Amino acid sequence: MASLVFLEKISIDPPREKIYQRLGYKKRTTEISAKQLEETDCFIHEASRLISLKGSLLRLSILQNDGEKIILSKNLTFKSKKLSAFLRDCGETVLMGATAGSVIMEAIKEKTRQDDLAAAVVYDATASEMTDAALDWMTDYFNQLIRREGKTLLPRRFSAGYADFHLENQKSIYEMLQMEKFGVAITSEFILLPEKSVTAVSGICG
Amino acid sequence: MIEISRIKSLLTKKIVVLDGAFGTELQKKGMPGGVCPEQWCIDHPQIIGDLYTAYQKAGSQIVYTCTFGANRFKLKQYGVRKNSYQMNYELARLAKQVCGKKTLVAGDIGPTGLFIEPFGPLAFEEAVDAFKEQVRGLIDGGCDLIVIETMIDIQEARAALLAVKEIKDIFTIVSMTYEKDGHTLGGTDPVTALITLQSLGANAVGCNCSTGPEKMVEFVTAMKPYAAVPLVAKPNAGVPRLEGGKTIFEMDAKTFASYGRNLAKAGANMLGGCCGTTPAHIQELAKSVAVIKPKMPVRQSISALSSARGFLHITENQPLFIVGERINPTGKKALQQELVEGKLSIIRRMAAEQETQGANLLDINVGQPGIDEEKTIKDVISLLATTTKLPLVVDSSNIKTIEAALRIYPGRMLINSISGEKEKLTKLLPLAAKYGAMFILLPLTGGEVPQTAQKRQIIVKNIFQAAKKYGFTQDDFIVDCLVMAVASNPAAACETLKTLHWCAQTFKSKTILGLSNVSFGMPGRPWLNATFLAMAQFCGLTMAIANPGSSEMMNATKAGDVLLAKDKDALRFIKHFSAQTDVNAVAAAGKILTPQEKIAEAIMNGDRENIIPLIETALSAGSPAQELVDKIMIPSIVRVGDLYEKKIYFLPQLMAAAEAMKKALGFLEPLLKKGSAGNKGKIILATVKGDIHDIGKNIVALLLRNYGYHVIDLGKDVTAEAIIETAKKEKPDVIGLSALMTTTMINMKDVITLARTRGIQEPFMIGGAVVTDAYAKSIGASFARDGVEAVKVVENLIKK
Repeated sequence: MASLVFLEKISIDPPREKIYQRLGYKKRTTEISAKQLEETDCFIHEASRLISLKGSLLRLSILQNDGEKIILSKNLTFKSKKLSAFLRDCGETVLMGATAGSVIMEAIKEKTRQDDLAAAVVYDATASEMTDAALDWMTDYFNQLIRREGKTLLPRRFSAGYADFHLENQKSIYEMLQMEKFGVAITSEFILLPEKSVTAVSGICG
Repeated sequence: MIEISRIKSLLTKKIVVLDGAFGTELQKKGMPGGVCPEQWCIDHPQIIGDLYTAYQKAGSQIVYTCTFGANRFKLKQYGVRKNSYQMNYELARLAKQVCGKKTLVAGDIGPTGLFIEPFGPLAFEEAVDAFKEQVRGLIDGGCDLIVIETMIDIQEARAALLAVKEIKDIFTIVSMTYEKDGHTLGGTDPVTALITLQSLGANAVGCNCSTGPEKMVEFVTAMKPYAAVPLVAKPNAGVPRLEGGKTIFEMDAKTFASYGRNLAKAGANMLGGCCGTTPAHIQELAKSVAVIKPKMPVRQSISALSSARGFLHITENQPLFIVGERINPTGKKALQQELVEGKLSIIRRMAAEQETQGANLLDINVGQPGIDEEKTIKDVISLLATTTKLPLVVDSSNIKTIEAALRIYPGRMLINSISGEKEKLTKLLPLAAKYGAMFILLPLTGGEVPQTAQKRQIIVKNIFQAAKKYGFTQDDFIVDCLVMAVASNPAAACETLKTLHWCAQTFKSKTILGLSNVSFGMPGRPWLNATFLAMAQFCGLTMAIANPGSSEMMNATKAGDVLLAKDKDALRFIKHFSAQTDVNAVAAAGKILTPQEKIAEAIMNGDRENIIPLIETALSAGSPAQELVDKIMIPSIVRVGDLYEKKIYFLPQLMAAAEAMKKALGFLEPLLKKGSAGNKGKIILATVKGDIHDIGKNIVALLLRNYGYHVIDLGKDVTAEAIIETAKKEKPDVIGLSALMTTTMINMKDVITLARTRGIQEPFMIGGAVVTDAYAKSIGASFARDGVEAVKVVENLIKK
């Protein structure tokens, strides 16, 4: 059952702890005054309002997994031993893509232009973590859809550019997910635009 | 179908036991993966019949029809040709035939798998229509009640519930699915969902699936104090885990049942099982709760409002609630223009600002000539439902606008307002009742505004009498005590306060005022407003419609809450004023700092706002500019770098300090020795070709400038040719390259190779998320892990 699902408004709270960690915060070491804490939280809050999380996901059957390559329905083939191993117990796979949108990237650019890098770095970290959190959200969402089938998604994800799963594969994932429909483009170097956009592959077990 | 009262009566006597899982049980009995479960049940009536019988024997008093996915969208996905009505009808009939009269049959409605506006592409009315098709089949097939379950989206739950209630007033359970963080995937918590759904007419509310029973005890415990309806819990047999590619639910029946007792004690009135549970689990559960006396709802009604992602419980002895008044085009030309053009950016900004400024609710008024008010209110609500957690107040004199808002809003709304005119009472009260909204009761009956408190009290009582007929209690409305201008009637404020006092002390209702009217036409309006507010707070005011951007007003409300003991330990008051306190923390501690020490501290604290005045003071006191830079500022920023390296500072602190430093240097530059700024060396920075990530490079640039380097920043996605050309022209001391990805990192090597072939011998420094020291060495460059290290690397490279 190959069906492309678009998720146009993914509503999640900014993962504050992860954003702080990304910015170098260490629980028992970093010392922040109440004012600095308030300022950082305020930047996170501002950023979250400029982030518009959208995504799409596609469920595909695994037609063949010989340990070297994976052949999926819709004539999609990935050559990667690591990905093959990752999906070895799965009969199906899910492709996922998400973006934080272009407004936040413009805001980061503008803050940088205004020499307000304190805000820019927090905006940047918030956008990165919220885009990752969008994939977590999509994983939970998909798990809800397949739970009654007695199936579950693998708890981890695999992305193009990792290990021997070359970044070039991002192009076919991007096309399958029709990410252009929610404003994402891909460069000739296979980088997604806006910058805070991601894709991933997961497997369905059960 | 049986009467709602009969099911309610059953619930007062015992914990009602529901059924367990069907999906996982049918798979055990041979249902293959990838088929439409509903069609498979129709094709295998004996198997589904046996399962009903097994649950009956186990003690289920209510079983669910196997129609979870029998909506038009899911059936289409499976390529099933039978229409939704027919599928639901047949499966309901099958369940009724097997269960007879002994066990009640609940017509089961699950999610469509799509997100509904304002959270997704499916039109709200299309969703309602699809659910109605399902509901008709279930009711015609003989179901005794309806259950809407496993909902992850509060708006979808609302659509399904409205579909049921618009067809028949039948007992309806609505059950949401919460993740382990206690929220649905849409971000709704159990109490918020309860407030929205019970006000919309759900006869029981609860949770199912997703988590195991342990977590569900927490959800039920959280909901019980707010519940005006019975609560339902149907957990999975523990949290599933993967084993050899298979999903395993491993909680045994006895362990599962032991949680049943805890759920009942927490206040669940109906209990069953979801994924992974079996007739054995239900049998043990039935035994474990057989003698437990059910805890019935603790209240008949509740003064509470909700959005999709939060709720507001309005009780006495709470701090004053502020209704943000700014989203109203009256007197706001820019907003008027935007509404005419169908744009919403000002509304988005106003909502965000008011939320930040401390509003608890947002009043929404889009009354503007020349626009389609119904469409506009829907657009505004769709926007705000996804961007603010604050509940909304629909403010309109147009009944159709109010209805459009109530229908689409994914929460419990407050209507502003319902007055005593016949048309308002006969049209708005039924609407408020249908959608479960609260309303502001406006003591007007048309014509003149009643001048005295006594006249207002009579109208309040009359409107309440009319509202009672629709089931409203005093929890469901807030009385507007009518604020008139003291400029035209000196007794106006006193009459308002008398009305307010009567509402709070005698009539026992919540109250609201539009405060600023009192000072209309007078000078010194903030003083009149703030003083009137304090008096109103003392008389028991619950809410004020105000501009939360008014610091006088917000400060006064916080002070009033402390003085009336509505702010425990004055915590909110202290927090409200803590920012000002923090700025002067050192002074407050009694330590007197020299002007130079204050500059050092401003850099350490990243105080960009105050650094220039501090430098001006130091200069006036006779400190030479060069000395301030060399002996105060540079050592301070070096200390910041040290603290960052030790992780005592994190990145935003480093950046704030660097910005304060940059601002100070910019201010001092004309006073410094000519050429001393940026004289430590020239650095070219660039993010290499193919890479669009530049935040790290920007950090390096800022820090290098702070340390006195002249930085030429070429930006991102820069070709090797452009870097080399600039290097030939500028003759830098160091060239810095950044890349974030493994695929673009290799372009650094190309730049360095090209530089060497073109005879450029200046050193290279590289950095970025995936770059390592080893890689840097391999291509003949130095490596910097972060901005602070980059400064040190540059220093060393130039020394060489």
